[in-house]
This record gives sequence, C-alpha cells and structure tokens, in this order.
Amino acid sequence: MDVWFVVSNAIVLASIYGTLAIGISITWSSLGLVNLSYGFVFAFAGYGAWLVAQHVSPWGPAVLVAGILAGALAGTIVCALAFIPIHDKPNFTVRGLIATLAINLIGTQSLLWWFGPRSKSLPEIFGNWKVHLGGIVLTADKIGNVLTSIIMLVAVLKWMQSSRRGLEIRAMMMNPHAASIVGIGVRRTGFYVMAITGGLAGLASVLLSQTYYIAPFGGLTPMIKGVSIALCGGLGSVRGAVIAAILLGLNEALTTVLIGGRYVLITQFLFIIAILLIRPRGIAGILDRAREA
Amino acid sequence: MSGSTWRNPLFIWGAKGAAEELPSNPHSSHQDIWRKTRESKTKLLPVGRLRYYYKWPGHGSRTWRRLRYWPTRRRVLHIRGEYNPKILRREKTIVDKRPIWWVLGLLALAAAPLFTPLDLQNTAMTAGATFGIYAAINLCWMLVIGTASIYSLATYAIVGTAAFCTAWLSIKLGLPWWMLPPIGAAVGLIFGTIIALPATRLDGFYYALLTLGLNELCRVYFLTSKEFGSATGGLYGADTYVPQGASQLGQLLIGYYACFALMLLALLLYRLVNGRRLGRILRMAPEKREAFAEATGVNFRQARIRVFIISSVALGFIGGFYTANFRGVAFSIFSFETVLLGLAMLVIGGIGRAEGAVVGTLVVVFFDKVLISLGPIRLIIIGAIMLGVVLYLRNGLFGIKAQFRAWRDKKKSERRSTRAEKGGEMLPEEATEAHDKDTVYWRRYDKMQRDYLKTLVTPEVIEEHRSSPLGQHSEPLERLLLYFRRQPQVDKYAITVVEPFKAYRIVALSGHRGVAPRVVEDKVYASTAEAYHGVFLRRVQDLLES
Amino acid sequence: MSTKREVLNVRGLSAGYGPMRVIHDLDLIVNSGERVGLVGLNGHGKSTLFYAIAGLTGWQRGSIMLNGIEVGRTRSQGPGRYTHQIVHTGLALIPQGDEIFHGLTVEEHLDSGAFTARAWRERAQRKERILQIFPPLKKLMRIPVGRLSGGERRMVSIGRGLMAEASLFLVDEPSLGLAPKIGKGVIDALMGVDLGSSAMIIAEQNVSLLEGRVDRIIGMHVGKLKGEASAALMLQTNRTA
Repeated sequence: MDVWFVVSNAIVLASIYGTLAIGISITWSSLGLVNLSYGFVFAFAGYGAWLVAQHVSPWGPAVLVAGILAGALAGTIVCALAFIPIHDKPNFTVRGLIATLAINLIGTQSLLWWFGPRSKSLPEIFGNWKVHLGGIVLTADKIGNVLTSIIMLVAVLKWMQSSRRGLEIRAMMMNPHAASIVGIGVRRTGFYVMAITGGLAGLASVLLSQTYYIAPFGGLTPMIKGVSIALCGGLGSVRGAVIAAILLGLNEALTTVLIGGRYVLITQFLFIIAILLIRPRGIAGILDRAREA
Repeated sequence: MSGSTWRNPLFIWGAKGAAEELPSNPHSSHQDIWRKTRESKTKLLPVGRLRYYYKWPGHGSRTWRRLRYWPTRRRVLHIRGEYNPKILRREKTIVDKRPIWWVLGLLALAAAPLFTPLDLQNTAMTAGATFGIYAAINLCWMLVIGTASIYSLATYAIVGTAAFCTAWLSIKLGLPWWMLPPIGAAVGLIFGTIIALPATRLDGFYYALLTLGLNELCRVYFLTSKEFGSATGGLYGADTYVPQGASQLGQLLIGYYACFALMLLALLLYRLVNGRRLGRILRMAPEKREAFAEATGVNFRQARIRVFIISSVALGFIGGFYTANFRGVAFSIFSFETVLLGLAMLVIGGIGRAEGAVVGTLVVVFFDKVLISLGPIRLIIIGAIMLGVVLYLRNGLFGIKAQFRAWRDKKKSERRSTRAEKGGEMLPEEATEAHDKDTVYWRRYDKMQRDYLKTLVTPEVIEEHRSSPLGQHSEPLERLLLYFRRQPQVDKYAITVVEPFKAYRIVALSGHRGVAPRVVEDKVYASTAEAYHGVFLRRVQDLLES
Repeated sequence: MSTKREVLNVRGLSAGYGPMRVIHDLDLIVNSGERVGLVGLNGHGKSTLFYAIAGLTGWQRGSIMLNGIEVGRTRSQGPGRYTHQIVHTGLALIPQGDEIFHGLTVEEHLDSGAFTARAWRERAQRKERILQIFPPLKKLMRIPVGRLSGGERRMVSIGRGLMAEASLFLVDEPSLGLAPKIGKGVIDALMGVDLGSSAMIIAEQNVSLLEGRVDRIIGMHVGKLKGEASAALMLQTNRTA
C-alpha cells in the first residue's frame, strides 16, 4: 500500500473539490443563492471540452480553456434562470435552491438525451511524463491538476482583491443595500459571480475527467463532495473552505490507508457532523471573530 | 379670458364710482371642484369583494343530530345555518368544503382501475402502485419539511436503508412479509434518531445540504458492499404479500389497493400529527419567528424532533412495505434523481399541505411512469414544471389561492392609500388623532374652496378691486372678499390708523385677548381705499401660496 | 456665471412602504449650484424622499427628473431594482447611518464610490481631494471600516459619496449620532465642497447647523414640504420671531 500514492491522490482530489467548494461559498455569500446545479455545470463543461477536443484540436491547454468557458456559460444560464427572476421575491433562499435543483435535473437529462448514456473521455492534457521524487512517482496529471487548480484559485482570489469587478463582488457580499446605492447592479454582478464560479467548476470538471469519464451524471458526486466541504468550512468564507478541503482530503487519505476505501464517506461525514455540532456555522465561525454583525 | 365683462347694475342709478362695464373672468362654476374632488378615481372591480358561498336550503340548526365520526363528537362537515331576512327563510352554508374534495378525490383514485384502458393496464396499475408508495413517502416528508420546518433531504435514505435491511433479513432468515414493515419501522427509528441530532444544531437549509451528503453516503455504502447485492444492482427475492398464484390482473389489483391503503394510512398519520397537538405547537413556531414560541414557553425544539422521529418510523415502515411489494429493492432508490423527483413532487404540490403531496406525486408519477416512452424528455418536462412552479408560484399549486389573495390585497391597499388624498388636508394618521372629527371635514371643504378661489384670481379682478374696494362687486371678486372676511381672527390683516384720513398701515391681528396686533410692513397708505387694496393684495397672495 | 438649470424636478411624488403612504404628492425643484437644507422631525419622510429619488422605497408614483432624465417610475414592488441605473445618471446618495461594507478598507470604500468609468480612472486624484476635505482619513486608509469609530465612518461614507461626479448629492442627516464638535466638522466639510454645476440637499433635524450656510431651507412635515425660506428671509425671521 503506497502511502504517498494515496496521499498525493487525496491532495489532488482535495484541491479539485476545494475549487468547487470555494465557488459555492462565493455564490452563497454574494448572492444568497445555494447553487446546487453544479452537476449540470460539470457535465456541460465536460461535454464542451470534449466537443472542442473532437472538432477543433486535442491540444491540452485548448481543452482546458474550452472547459472553463463552457462552465462559465453554464453558470450564466443558471444565473439567468434561477437568480434573476426571483432574487427579490419572498422566500428566495429555498426557492433558489429548488430552482437550481430543477435546472440540474433539466440540464443533466438534456445532456443524457443529446449525447447518449455512454461516457466520453478527454485527451491527456498534461502529457505523459513522470517525476521521481525520493521514493514517490508523481505522474504528470497529478502535478498538473494540483498546480492548475491552485494557480486558478489564487488568480481568481487575487482578481477579486484587486480589480473593479472583484471589488463590486466583495461589496455586494457584505452589504447588498449599500452596493445598490453606490451604483453596483445586483444582477450584473450576479452574472459575473456565476460565470466565475461556473468557470471554476468547469476547470474542476476537466481536471477530474483525467481520472473519471465524462458522463451526464458525472457531476453529482463532485458536487455533493464540494457542497459538504463548503458546509464544513462555513458557507460564506473562502478561507474556511480551503481549510476544510485540506482537512477532508487528509481524512480521506487516512481512512483509505487505515480502514479501507469503503468507509471514506462515513468517516468524512462523521467528521463533518462533529465539526457542525461544535460550530453550527462551520470552521469559519472560528476565524471571523473580529467581524461585527 | 378676454371678452367677458361685468355690468355693474348700480350704474343705472348713478352710484358713485360705478363703471358701466368692467372686464372680468368668464364664469366658472364652484360645483366643478366639488364634483371633481368627490368623485372616486379608483377602478372598482365589477365583482364584489366578499367571499361567495352557495346557500343550501334547509334549517341548518340541527346541532344534536349531525353526521359525526363515531365514537367522537367531531362533525364531518362544518355546516352553518343562518336566517336570511330577504327571503324570510333559513339557509345553510357549508363553510369548509375540503372534506368533500378529499372524499371525491380518494373515491376517484379507488375507482381508477376500473377506468384504465386495457392496453395501458399493466403500466397504469404498476404506476398506480408506485404512486401510492411515493405518496405515502411524500406525506411523511411533508410532515418533516412543512410541519417541522426541518429541510431534510434524507427521506429516501431512510426508506432505502429500511428496505435494504428488511430485504436482506428476509432473504437470509426467510422472514414472512408481515414482519417486514415493523422491522423496517425499527430500522427507521434508529436511523432517524441518529440524523435527528444534527437537526437540532443546524439552521434550515444547512441541514438540507448535510442530508444530501448523507444520501450519497448511503448510496456509496450499499453500492460497494457485496452483501447488499452490488453485483446484481440490488437485492431480490424477499417475501411478498401478493399471492403468486393469482392472475396477472389480480396481482396488479391487489398491489394497487395495498399501496392505496398505505397511502390512506399515511394520510391518517399526517392528520394525527399535523392536526393535533404537535402540529399546533409547530404552527406557533414558523421558520423565522421561533422567539415568540420560546417566549411563551412552548418547547418547539422537542416537538420538531418528535415529528422527525415519528416520520422516520413511518418511513421505515414504508421501506419494509416497499420490499414486500416489489420483492426487493434496487440501488436507484438512493440516486440523486430519486431525491430530485421527490422534491419535485413536494414543490409542485405546495409545501405544508397534504393535498399538495398527493397531487404533486400524481403529476410527477404520471409523467415519469406512464409516459415512460418519451425517454429523458419526460424528466426534462418534470424539471421544467418544477422550475416554473418555483419561479412563479410562492407555494406550489395549492398556494395559488393564497398568493392571488395576497396580491389582490396589496393592490387594494395601494389603491386605498392613493384614495386617502381626497383633496383633504389631513392625512389618515392625523385624522385618527384629531379630537373633533368635524375638523377633518372642515379642512377638506376649506381646501376645495381655496382651490376654486385660486382659479378666480386674475389681473382683471385685482384691477376691479383697486378701482373700487367698497361697493358692488362682480361675482368672482365678491366670492373672494366674502371668503377673506370669513376667516378666523388669528393672523387676520387689519388696518390701523396712524393719522386720521391721512395715514394708514396694515397690521395683523393676533386673535388673542390682550395681545397687540403686529406690524406687517412699514408702508404707509395715504387713503383708506389704498389701504383696503393693500390688505386685499396681501390676502390674495396668502391664498395663492397656501 | 453658469446658467441655472434644473438638476432635480420632482412632481407629484407619492411614496410609501406597503399600506403606509409616507410622501404625499410632493413637488420639489432644485437648481444647479444650490445647496438646500431639508429640515423636519424624525419619521416625517426626509429619508423616504431621498430613498424615493433613488428608487428604494416600497412603492412610488410620480415624476422625478434628474438632469432632465426621467428616473421616477410608477412601481409597486421591487425596491432597489433600478437603483444602480438611477445612480449612474448622476445621483450620489449618502444614506442615514452610514451603510458601509464592514470588511473593506477605507481606500476600497472610496474606490467603490467611483462608479463611472471616468471617475474610476481618476480615482487617485479624487481620493487626494477627499483626503484634503477629511484629513483624519489619511492615517486610516488601510484599516477595515468595520473597526472605525462613528465619526470616522461618517467621513468615509460622505467621502465615498463625493468620489463620483454626481449632479445631485443627497446627504441624509450627516450629524446623526455624532458628538457636536465632530458633527459641526462634518457639516463644515460638506459646506466646503465646491458644487460647480451640481446641487446638494442636506436633510437635518438640527436647523441651527444649517442656518445661514445653505441657499434655501425647506421644511418637511408629515410627508409634505411646508414652507420655504431663503437665507435672507431666514435671518430676518429670526430677528422678528
């Protein structure tokens, strides 16, 4: 049992799922919408990348970019259908959740109907080289996955800190009323947020499809994992999601090594429930003590 | 404005200072402003606003010998009898018609097998059996989401776990079918107690996300365990209550009516929990207003957990019945799609109502199982209906009435608030505080008068007054003067003599005994006529500014 | 001497929340270069008037022309739906009891006020100008606003409103909740702002802070404007009354 193999796997998975979790956190805190349509966004991005790989070029970065763009497109569709019509109506939280689930259902079924149930595979994005580090063999796709997701995440977070749209998004996260007074349109910013988180999900989809195939329902498990990580880290906080992703990745690795792969989910959920029982708002409840209501 | 003149009638008798003809205003009636202010500008609906009840003939006051649910004294129908003075007779109204709709609906469902076309019989009856089971599941789910306001998506996890456990036990130990539901209920109790713990600590939909993960957990666990039939896609071979010797039609009918009976039991459970003490406690503590319930000392948290556990027991029972009905269970019960479809059933019907669960299940099962030939499109249709309902309806199909009424009430109150300004000076808040209500009407009348008088002020009228402040005046000028002279003493302009016949000044009376009038301006007028005109000009200016 | 033109022309405005009507058929005209004071007790509709101009009330009715563009719509729900569009036609609303973004730093707050493209490009110079008007902010540029005191927050809020080139500034109770000296300082800063062709309406409960320093004072009583006094007449009335 190659411990480092398992650990490196866990890190890869954690970084990919962490991307999803951060997307969910950002969407929740800026728009007040819990976006459970990532199953659809995932599959859409995967199929988009596959179409580009089939018809345009199988070059790695092109496929990656195609996946990100397709994810962003799917994100804007979800925004237009689930956020814009009801964001100022009563009971928006629950209705938005159900609307995103409905879009998930419609979307995945349409993809099933259009592309058929057989799964597709993407070409290798990162090539076939290996790196020998001490006693560990790190394949290209593992390194590529981790590096790409970390680079994208850092880029997105830096963009949010420094650019004008990022400032608008952060302002809307904190006080939507004041944001509209200062001239920040809720709906336009909503499109930006959903496009960015959709792009992140698209990236995760393309990276994951190196290991798993692209299927219409392939996005459900990652979505549920991402949602659990976001929940554990505290739904509004990016730092919490990162910490939760690292912790859960370690948990997964340890469980696989010590007890067996079947019990990974059980231990993960026990861990999440334990954290939620201590901190009902997630890990980020510990971090943001200085903030006032 | 030009062309109207006023002929002074005193001219004929040669009165001093009477011109024969003076230019004046064209005649405008004072009735116009009255009519304009008093008319109702709101659009009234052609239909009355009262609720419409059909009146049945009859006495309606038989308060002793009524149709009741034996052995209680609870009435079946709420009938009210009143005396109608217009037709000089008593008449009855059925205040609450919902029991009638329920009975008709259930009778229709019970008689449905007789009306299915022969070629569709197989599909329709199995769909009907599925409908019964899913309706029962949704009723228990509705108890959790609607009554207890716990957004739990783990319903199918409980049902599936109970189904799998009972199937395994039945296959391994050969248990008969009538033992399966109670064992399922026990499994449901254990599972429900475990997942009720986080429900106390987590808010609303945080818990929904958690249960979503739990669902996935169950799926993966059962999927990967050989004992639970990972090779065959599920467990098959449990004992069933459907006699294997009966004909195809007989089996289908028995299955259908057994599931129908299960749905009736679930309805009974819903009624017992929601309509009695637990439900009432929880209605006191809706989602955001729990502080009120806490302040009155109601232990709503315990009530919520109780409802959750009762619902889990019922779901476990249904799980056992599921195994007994279908002779086994497949992994698809844990799939995300099943949860989504179940949520669709709840949302389409409307959260919080039993009829919503039943009708929603009917719609979705119809599309899903009867129209199965359409392929994935049928699920797209269901998803589209779900999306439409969530976007446009506040609470599903059965919430349409309440939504329409709320919208209509909002429009009514908006129109009422625009109607408040009936040309009056007083706002509704001021009017309710006023001690003497007559001032409200007086102010309204005064406002109307002033609006009319403002239209009368023209240069011709002012010129006419300048030329002869005293004497016969034209109608518009006369109206103005009479109004001015009628005003109360407080702050009324008057003329004070500085030097008799030579100097006059305008002052304003204070209206209070012992307080001297205040000087308004420094200008000194040389004659009374000029002073009168000066006073008139000031009063006209005040009128125009008010 | 620039030609006087109407910056704000309100005609027949009625606005309220739900069944409560706060403003009744209000008319108001504000010309460029004018500083107008709006006085009245609490709850009589000053903030609602500002919110109605910005489109944030529950419902509203009537015509509001800002720089000749009609921004008042008759609507019965959805407050805040068009607010950002109205803001982009040249409105700067400095709301009552600062609405701040408590996680952003002072500098980012000022940046968020520059909502037009030109203002964004020139934001460094504008920030310099704001720092000249409010010197205490110089040392606080990198601190999250959630940790500042009331007076400093008020300065940030007003500075944010002054960042963009708005034609109409609506300042809602600038001295609310502040110590008298700081409140006076804030009002002094507001009076010192060079309006150019813009106009400013300051709503205040405390008339004495505005006396003699604004061009016009309008009273607001139960949702209607009552009584207007120009600066000259105000002084005279103070002498005789």
